Amino acid sequence: MNTKTAAALPVDLGGGPFTITTRDLTKRFGSTTALNALDLRVPEGAAYVLVGPNGAGKTTLLRTLIGMARRDHGAVEVLGIDPERRGADARGLVGYVPEGHRIGYPWMTVGRLLKHCEALYPSWDTDYAARLVDAYEVDLSRKCRSLSKGQSRRVQMLVALAHRPPLLLLDEPTDGLDHVIRDVTLSILSEHFADSPTTALISTHRVYEIERLVDHVGVLRQGRLLGQMPTDELRGKLRRYWADVPDGFEMSTELAGRVIRRTEGMRDIEWTVWGEEKLVVNGFGRAGATVREVAPLSLDEAATALLANKETS
Amino acid sequence: MRVHLQTSDNRPLYVQIMDEVRRGLVRGTLSPEDALPSVRELASSLQINPRTVSQAYAELEREGVVRVRPGKGTFVAPEVRPEENERPRLAREVALRTLADVSRNGLLLEEVLEALHGLGQAVEREEALEEGIG
Repeated sequence: MNTKTAAALPVDLGGGPFTITTRDLTKRFGSTTALNALDLRVPEGAAYVLVGPNGAGKTTLLRTLIGMARRDHGAVEVLGIDPERRGADARGLVGYVPEGHRIGYPWMTVGRLLKHCEALYPSWDTDYAARLVDAYEVDLSRKCRSLSKGQSRRVQMLVALAHRPPLLLLDEPTDGLDHVIRDVTLSILSEHFADSPTTALISTHRVYEIERLVDHVGVLRQGRLLGQMPTDELRGKLRRYWADVPDGFEMSTELAGRVIRRTEGMRDIEWTVWGEEKLVVNGFGRAGATVREVAPLSLDEAATALLANKETS
Repeated sequence: MRVHLQTSDNRPLYVQIMDEVRRGLVRGTLSPEDALPSVRELASSLQINPRTVSQAYAELEREGVVRVRPGKGTFVAPEVRPEENERPRLAREVALRTLADVSRNGLLLEEVLEALHGLGQAVEREEALEEGIG
């Protein structure tokens, strides 16, 4: 099989406006490069999901965006602010759910914590906070230190949402939540997007959960962004092709697409290809293959295929 | 109106929502001037991005199937004629999906039409028998 390598996946999202822009963002821990020349662009109003394996740099990236981790190189702009210079300003405008479940004031009751947040955030919406307390069945009398992982996550979500910030940074928002509460969370996020003008950057392993909530995706591997694009573009251009092929089939001509994954039988193949569907189908036809079916991939399948492909970089 | 979405479906989500509205009209679960669920309600119950619902409603409005009344919500347009418009359109959608299925299975359209015809006759015979008994 000899397929010409087509252009890499897109990372350029055009002219903006962007709520988050990083240029050449690089972060090292000792000799390890956690973030490698990252050009992240999160368009204003987007719900952007960041996918990647453990250690890809997702958490470090989010921490860098609110000034909780220092960069070694490059530029970062979040809501027009460089978070390394004005970290407190950036954090005041962001609803952040951190990777860890520890809440910063372990001695406070949850009720006291919410009062504290109300004083801290000028835009705190008391009615909304009360509704979230109900929806999440939060016990206000519990001490923050005594919360389970799931309970703590609910409080963190509540605090992130209730001041209706222009930007949400959610690091594994459903981590530690049981099925029912996960379900509640997804509906809460839908309603939040409908009610408040929000940009959201969400990092998660459970892409399938939020597939329908997001409209942009960035794929991160070893600190590098393999691609970032609207999910519609991914759905339109990354497709699975089932084709019948003659004996000794060889794809010698250019396919007009980039093969991401191949599975082959004796006389049929299943390839995942990045490209314009019509051109790819024609390419198969020229090579003597008959395409039987073309289907889009779920976001989860797409991320898996892209991350498993060693040529994407 | 119940809306069902499938991630594995070839159609984008907003198109699936549009087709669900059309299906409601054809089956009679939706009638002219009925209110559609609000963007927020539908987004929340389907756990999807509200923009996807807005996009579907905007497209339906462009097609004249629904009308957005500012401040009141989205309603089925009073002048829709499901029997004349949505019904043939839905039939065409189903036919398109069937064609794809025929091709995927490496069958010829004629073979499948013949099989469909046979099945249809069998169903009719059964119905006739049941009516005879009843």
